[in-house]
Amino acid sequence: MSHEPESAPDKPILTITGLRKLYGKFTAVDQVDLEVTPGQVFGILGPNGAGKTTSLRMITGLIKPTAGEIVIDGHPMSTSPLEAKRITGFIPDRPYVYDKLTAFEYLRFIAGLYKMDKAKAAERMLELLALFELAEWGDSLIEGFSHGMKQRLVFAGALLPNPKLLIVDEPMVGLDPKGHRLIKNLFVSLTKEEGMTILLSTHTLEVAEEVCDQIAIVNHGRIIARGTLSELRMASGEDQGSLEEVFLSITEQKEQERADAVARRFGQDGAAE
Amino acid sequence: MYLELIGAKLRTVKGNLRSAQGERHRGPLFIGLSVIFSVMLFRGSYWLVTQALAVQPIGELLVQKLVSLAFLIFLGMLLFSNIVSAFTTFYLADDMDFLMAQPVSWDALFASRYTEALVQSSWVIVLFGMPPFTALGYAMGASWSYYAMLLAVFLPFVAIPTGIASLACLLVTNMLIASRMRDTLGFLGMVALVILFYGIRALQPEKLFNPDSFDSLGEMVNLLSTPPSSYLPSDWAINVLSPMIFQQGSIDIWSLALLYTTPSALFFISAWCHRKMFYRGYTRVQEGRHGESVLTVLRDKLMQQSTQRGGGVTRRLEKLKEHAGETFGPMQQLIIKDRLIFTRDASQWSNMLVIVAMMIIYLVNFKYFEIASGTAFFGEVGLYYFNMAICGFVVVALSGRFLFPSVSIEGRSFWMMMQAPISLEQMLVGKWIGAMAPVIFVGQFVIWASNILISQNWGLTLLAATLVLIFSVCVAGISVGLGAVYPQFYNPNASSIAASFGAIIFMISSIILVLMSLFFSFRFVQHMTQVIKGTHDLELTMNMMIGLGIAIAMPTLAAYAAIRLGAASLRKRM
Repeated sequence: MSHEPESAPDKPILTITGLRKLYGKFTAVDQVDLEVTPGQVFGILGPNGAGKTTSLRMITGLIKPTAGEIVIDGHPMSTSPLEAKRITGFIPDRPYVYDKLTAFEYLRFIAGLYKMDKAKAAERMLELLALFELAEWGDSLIEGFSHGMKQRLVFAGALLPNPKLLIVDEPMVGLDPKGHRLIKNLFVSLTKEEGMTILLSTHTLEVAEEVCDQIAIVNHGRIIARGTLSELRMASGEDQGSLEEVFLSITEQKEQERADAVARRFGQDGAAE
Repeated sequence: MYLELIGAKLRTVKGNLRSAQGERHRGPLFIGLSVIFSVMLFRGSYWLVTQALAVQPIGELLVQKLVSLAFLIFLGMLLFSNIVSAFTTFYLADDMDFLMAQPVSWDALFASRYTEALVQSSWVIVLFGMPPFTALGYAMGASWSYYAMLLAVFLPFVAIPTGIASLACLLVTNMLIASRMRDTLGFLGMVALVILFYGIRALQPEKLFNPDSFDSLGEMVNLLSTPPSSYLPSDWAINVLSPMIFQQGSIDIWSLALLYTTPSALFFISAWCHRKMFYRGYTRVQEGRHGESVLTVLRDKLMQQSTQRGGGVTRRLEKLKEHAGETFGPMQQLIIKDRLIFTRDASQWSNMLVIVAMMIIYLVNFKYFEIASGTAFFGEVGLYYFNMAICGFVVVALSGRFLFPSVSIEGRSFWMMMQAPISLEQMLVGKWIGAMAPVIFVGQFVIWASNILISQNWGLTLLAATLVLIFSVCVAGISVGLGAVYPQFYNPNASSIAASFGAIIFMISSIILVLMSLFFSFRFVQHMTQVIKGTHDLELTMNMMIGLGIAIAMPTLAAYAAIRLGAASLRKRM
């Protein structure tokens, strides 16, 4: 199931405006604005608890934003969620799937949810089972799979409907070095050869450095820097530094700054704005 | 350490209540429904006791037998729910892995889990056990000391099954192959039910209301005066309460002592056994499905057949390629997915056996109830309605056990449903349609079989079957919908989800709905029975039609509203 692009190549496939998520008084995501143009790998980096996963879950429709708008390829998530979801694939950080299904049955189920053509779905399944080295496990129950195999199956499921936008939360969790290489090559080929857009969050800076065209750094629920790696280097003053050095430099805070940011997120009085 | 563990549990419950967004209505709703249900139980029990007292000259003996019956039923229900709770809290709970790695003493861990299993499995039975016993005291004009003693009897009474269940689970986990444990516990529950059945049959309740069915007064008094077996806790309870109910004689101190010493002894024996054997049992549960028993091999064989139906993945993919131009249907795939997951979960099979056992118990008993229908106490129309109500309860129980947890058992995989391009309403309707067939089948089987057993008129059988069909379809929808309103995505055990707070709300509201539907359809049905028997012309009045309309519209609208509410509630949780 391929999608003819509805938008011009330079028109963003994902537009986020004023995105906010509150849990009670706690601000998980605060006024995030973002535009992602098609055919690139966009990385979201940030320390633990920065709001990366919450942001991705809102973009995929798993969590409802408190405020703000998410538009995927012209379809607002608030008013046309099914149209937006139909062109989006999601790979969560932990591969929770139906243990009592076989790999084939799981993929057939996904094909059903996306109303795929049976013959095309069969061809794609064959291709993806081979790509993720799961062909010989097609008839096995998922409950017998290792963490890495489940992760690869979730990748296959997300790619099955050939989404325009693939959202990946921590892609490398549970994968062995061979898996790392496979995924990195796959990201490059999906974006450069098939025109897919990938939005990923990761802690693995080496992955971000190798595959991301654009990077946004998130801290305390807000985007604090964005751009290409060289733009971030410039902004951080680490002209020759690795992404790790750039990241640490940008996210580094004085004790008081951190305390103020935390107080602001918890909605405490007197917090610095 | 015990207090810390229990405190952590209480704080978790409090935290869950606090974080349950948009569920502020849950507490008041539960209280409201509980009050209505308790009033119904109170009034029903009061009526039963006064009716029994009117059967002379054996009224008081009859009341005593009914109280024995009630305690016996409670004992059976407590045993069943304690086995489910004990296995979950001691071996399957999410926090067990964490606690096992902490420097927590076995005794503290045991005591906290024991308390949790006790509270979890008993609170509902204590809550709804009180109205019938209060009604008994009220009908008999008992003094305040009866109510105080009732509380003093109930507390140790509910603790005994927890001791037995914790020991049973410990033995099962130590002695059996890990993969068979859940099934075996299901069987243990079924054994408890069968024992309960024989206990009830031994009391012959239907005969008690029909003195004519005894050959002589001597035989009747003899049966009623038979001293109850002294080794059952239900008999100890009745021995203690009898003098206060009938205001004669003195309290049986021996029974009271047994009521208090037995749970204490069981607690300490269980604690001692857990010190020696719990670690081994816990380890074996973690080992999962390994082993070479005949049953395991058979199960694996069945599983292999199920996963390779249609010739394996290559063959199935080839077959799919032949269907170019055809698209997969989301609803069909949702139904197939749920069916596969359900049939491959061995813990559900043993529960199916419990349902089969319940059906057989009811059908066998129904023949006995026919004996009672000849009396003024029950009557023919009473039996016809009683049967429909029981079928309604079977449908509610079945839906509560298998359909209510259907959203919850999606568990951590639920993200797929939320992310998929299908609406939550579609997802719930898929679950409803997929699971409706077994509920309809069981409802129809019970109504047809029970009516055929007593050679009921075909027209009346068809009429009853139609009403039960409407209940089955609607109750199935309500259970799926309310299951989505009160999901427990992190509970690994479908049996314990079926005994949760939300499930109780579902059960009570559905039972009330079924009874109200029967009430509104009464005039129409009674008229139709006369028409079918040829004693009346087919002249339907406006009142009959309105009553029938309400009887059908109420459950239909409730099912529709439950599905919408379920979807809205899931959206709110986002």
